[in-house]
Amino acid sequence: MKWKAIVFLGLLSSFSVAGLTQAGWVQAGEIAYTVRPTELKAKPYSDAVTLARLEQRTKVEVIGQRSSWRQVQVDGKAGWVKMLSLKFNHVDRKAGDTGLATLFNVVTTGSTGSSVTTGVRGLSEDDLKHTKPNPKALEVMDTYAVNKADAQRFAKVGKLSSQSMGYIAEPASGGKK
Amino acid sequence: MKTKLLLLAAMFISTACANMDMNNVMETAGKVAKGPAPISETQEISMGRGIASNLLGAAPLLDNRPVQKYVNQVGRWLTLNAERPDLPWHFAVLDDEDVNAFAVPGGYIFITKGLLVHIKSEAELAGVLAHEISHVLRRHHVEAIRKSTRTSIITDFAKDSLKDSGLGSVLTNLIGVGTELYARGLDKNDEYEADRMGVVIAARAGYDPYGLPAVLQTLQGMNPTHSNLALMFKTHPSLSDRLDLLDRTMSGSMDRFEAQPDLANRFTKVIGQ
Repeated sequence: MKWKAIVFLGLLSSFSVAGLTQAGWVQAGEIAYTVRPTELKAKPYSDAVTLARLEQRTKVEVIGQRSSWRQVQVDGKAGWVKMLSLKFNHVDRKAGDTGLATLFNVVTTGSTGSSVTTGVRGLSEDDLKHTKPNPKALEVMDTYAVNKADAQRFAKVGKLSSQSMGYIAEPASGGKK
Repeated sequence: MKTKLLLLAAMFISTACANMDMNNVMETAGKVAKGPAPISETQEISMGRGIASNLLGAAPLLDNRPVQKYVNQVGRWLTLNAERPDLPWHFAVLDDEDVNAFAVPGGYIFITKGLLVHIKSEAELAGVLAHEISHVLRRHHVEAIRKSTRTSIITDFAKDSLKDSGLGSVLTNLIGVGTELYARGLDKNDEYEADRMGVVIAARAGYDPYGLPAVLQTLQGMNPTHSNLALMFKTHPSLSDRLDLLDRTMSGSMDRFEAQPDLANRFTKVIGQ
């Protein structure tokens, strides 16, 4: 019940702060920077018309998303850039600052600013070192399990169909050590 | 080749030390050559249940059955598109503000509420779960536990389980080692591998494969000094390194899956119930 109230509030908040695009939710007006010279495309496709060439470290405002593309506004122009050409600025935001998360904090702690890490239990490094088994919770977790047939039905309803693809090898220059 | 060298070394040592017990030397050489006894799937599951129980001792389950079911449906569907589909896969949301997700041997996967609230679509959830599933597929934690435990304990564990003695002391010991691993983290390369595999599993399951990098990018937009991110940051490589490697991995190879759905609406509908 508590969860329902939290999520309901969260959703209300999302509606007020987020734009619902064709492809999903995006926090409106997030600021990001290009991490490399990047083409601003008219549409979210590699072969779409190039509207402008953005230099590395160009500041953009993210206004929408579709798969690997982000719709951005820059110098009054709107267009699309590859998501991984952007880096989000963390100066203006912090954990729990987005609409849904803020309301979770408000409802669960009654305050907007403080984080909840001082409780008796939790997932900090120290908590994990001193934890005790909770077999009852494990039994409850067992009851959430979904069998193969249910999973397949669930996929069908979502129009998800299996694709074939092999794993990708480590990039040539290797993983960062 | 390695075995031969080890045996040669053992023989050299035994010749050099005339008064050394030959049987001991050969026994030791044999153990080193074979390494510790392998941990079977049944043992992996027993160990996993113990570790999962410990994690649940640190953070409670989110008390919302529809959300728990939904996360299991997404997760179980992903596992049907990967190796080890017959493991007893279990997924759960932990009612904790920390931003994190955990994979436990045997197929126990956890995601915190603190991370779930920053997720915007089913494809993003799938990306996170597929990363965790990959750790189980590659037995990353099992191997890490083996590496940080004395050979003799692992060997005893193998014997112990042959007798099917249940939660023996050796098992309890390994569960303790296993649980501490979540405070310490895996090898960086295990994390990179789980990222590379995770996006492929999401694509195979029919999702927009850019869910995982989207979540990593969202996390990148948060204040890294916030305490809710501390453990995740401590136990994982930097987000820029992970995104950089995913960028190199995905560009080109994932183009054909870009039109796959992200099911943002279904995600919002279920989470909003």
